[in-house]
Amino acid sequence: MGRTNKFLDIKNINLSFDNKDLEIMILRNLSLTVKEGDFVAITGASGSGKTSLLRVICGLEIPKEGEIILDHSVMFNKEISIPTEKRNIGLVIQEKVLFPHMNTRQNIEFGISKRKDKNELSNEIMEKLKIQKLSEKYPYQLSGGESQRVALARSIVMKPKLLLLDEPFSGLDTKLKTKIYPEIKSILNDNKITCLMVTHDLTEVKALADKLFNLESGKLVKI
Amino acid sequence: MLNAESDIVFFPNIRTIYGAIAVFSFTLYPYVYMVARVAFMNISPSLIEASKLLGKNSISTFFYLLIPLIRPAIIAGIALVAMETLSDFGAVQHFAIPTFTTGIFRTWTGLYDLNTALQLSTILLTVIFCFFAIEKNSRNKIRYDNSTTLKNSYKPIQLKKFHNVAALLICLIPVFVGFFLPVLELINWSSQIENIFSSKVIIAASNTLYISIIATILICLITLIINFIVRSFGMSQLINDILSLGYAVPGLILAVGITRMFTSIDSLLINFDTFITGSILGLILAYVIKTYAISNNVLNSAYASIPLSLDESAKTLGTGRLSILKSVHIPMLKTGLFTSFLLVMAELIKELPATLILRPFNFDTLAVSVYLLASEERMFEAAFPGLMIIIFGLIPIYFLNKLILSKNG
Repeated sequence: MGRTNKFLDIKNINLSFDNKDLEIMILRNLSLTVKEGDFVAITGASGSGKTSLLRVICGLEIPKEGEIILDHSVMFNKEISIPTEKRNIGLVIQEKVLFPHMNTRQNIEFGISKRKDKNELSNEIMEKLKIQKLSEKYPYQLSGGESQRVALARSIVMKPKLLLLDEPFSGLDTKLKTKIYPEIKSILNDNKITCLMVTHDLTEVKALADKLFNLESGKLVKI
Repeated sequence: MLNAESDIVFFPNIRTIYGAIAVFSFTLYPYVYMVARVAFMNISPSLIEASKLLGKNSISTFFYLLIPLIRPAIIAGIALVAMETLSDFGAVQHFAIPTFTTGIFRTWTGLYDLNTALQLSTILLTVIFCFFAIEKNSRNKIRYDNSTTLKNSYKPIQLKKFHNVAALLICLIPVFVGFFLPVLELINWSSQIENIFSSKVIIAASNTLYISIIATILICLITLIINFIVRSFGMSQLINDILSLGYAVPGLILAVGITRMFTSIDSLLINFDTFITGSILGLILAYVIKTYAISNNVLNSAYASIPLSLDESAKTLGTGRLSILKSVHIPMLKTGLFTSFLLVMAELIKELPATLILRPFNFDTLAVSVYLLASEERMFEAAFPGLMIIIFGLIPIYFLNKLILSKNG
């Protein structure tokens, strides 16, 4: 069976925030389709709404209008709004969001705690991301690069339908980035994970993405 | 309050150990509530979002992420409650529950056996210091667990009709049972007394204010001087840590210790025909030991917010240490000093066990009056002094709230 052309189908999304009496438009009639297994990058100026777009896709922000379909299932439209926890979408952001009271293994197993094979799954992903040695360490004992790898492992182990990356490598040094890109690309390919990443870094785009869009005034323009 | 005969309206006997547990639970819950609230507020919303992205719904997030995350805060709060309960004297005495404190009191004032009272005090103190260590340890953990950066802010969820009313009612239960209900009952009892402003009540109120104000000023002054010395001479905080241990010591044990110390001093002063046992000195000393930690918490953090470079600049301008205190530190510590004054005052107004034992002859405070009247089952007469303690205690809290609100703009 071939790859679905419209694995992620976003139609006419409008998102605005009310600031006192003022309505600030963040996303205007934004539409986007992503093929299954594709790695799509989105660039744009600060405040252009890149992060908001990712938050809308995973259900952390609710748009005023539009439709989001993921793998033929409606995630959001006029009638339906699937809660974040049921969308099976992963999000890795720049900010440190590892649970501080859990070690690396516990963090990775948090989302799969009810599965009997959680140990095997976490071992497998730790091995792939070369973080086995960190399994007993706590977030405060990890460097920036290590933390991001653990956050990535925590999302990938859930086998999400879609992985969203919000400038996840911006805190890392260039040397580490060039080392980590091919590894991540290969893990995503192996697991057939469709990925949407927002970034400022064009080197990152070249190394990872299949397609690039620019977000301008709340609309996406293909580059 | 219902004006009904006790055989018509059923109400369980409250003067049992279970009644005491209920009373302590509803009056001491703020110790857990306050630390847990702060801990909850310090959790980055991104962590909650991360949990949802990992497939956990709100209930699972609460039990599997949030509760374990604030566990050190809950343990710290519980340790404080345990310390307060073990130290309590008035409530357990009124409920006739045999505890360590009532045992110490009976051994000393009933059997006149100070040595056994001291031995019992040592055992109680050991138990309390175990909880003190647990509390300290948990507090350190809170700092380390909340090391996640807090970038997003929480968006309040507007609850709909039924949920809104249900949430309000559930949250009101502890406040209603622990505060409004007893206050309403005290008002009801007070209204049944003809002359509530009797000379005894007025004297007790003025005694309370007199001793509390003097002791509070002294405590703030001592804390200021010690913190100034520690800062000016670059000393370690060890002295503050040691002096702060006093807040964990039950008032009754302090009283036993101070009495023992004062009787020893009196035996030395016997030739000079001077006695300090039974003077106001012991009471003030107990208050200083008991509330130094409260005052130091405020002043120490206020001092920490003054950059050392200011002291250095003042020194290069030829200013001496005392002048720095007078013209730089004190003006900058005004809010801290005021806060410290209000907090210590609120604490001392209600202090009972140390006051009961160390007060000079015929020197009744409001707390002592309530205790003595309640122990004679004169509840109606005890109600108004009790209400006055609440009012006197609420005044500093009112000013403190105003201060916090003005600070937050």
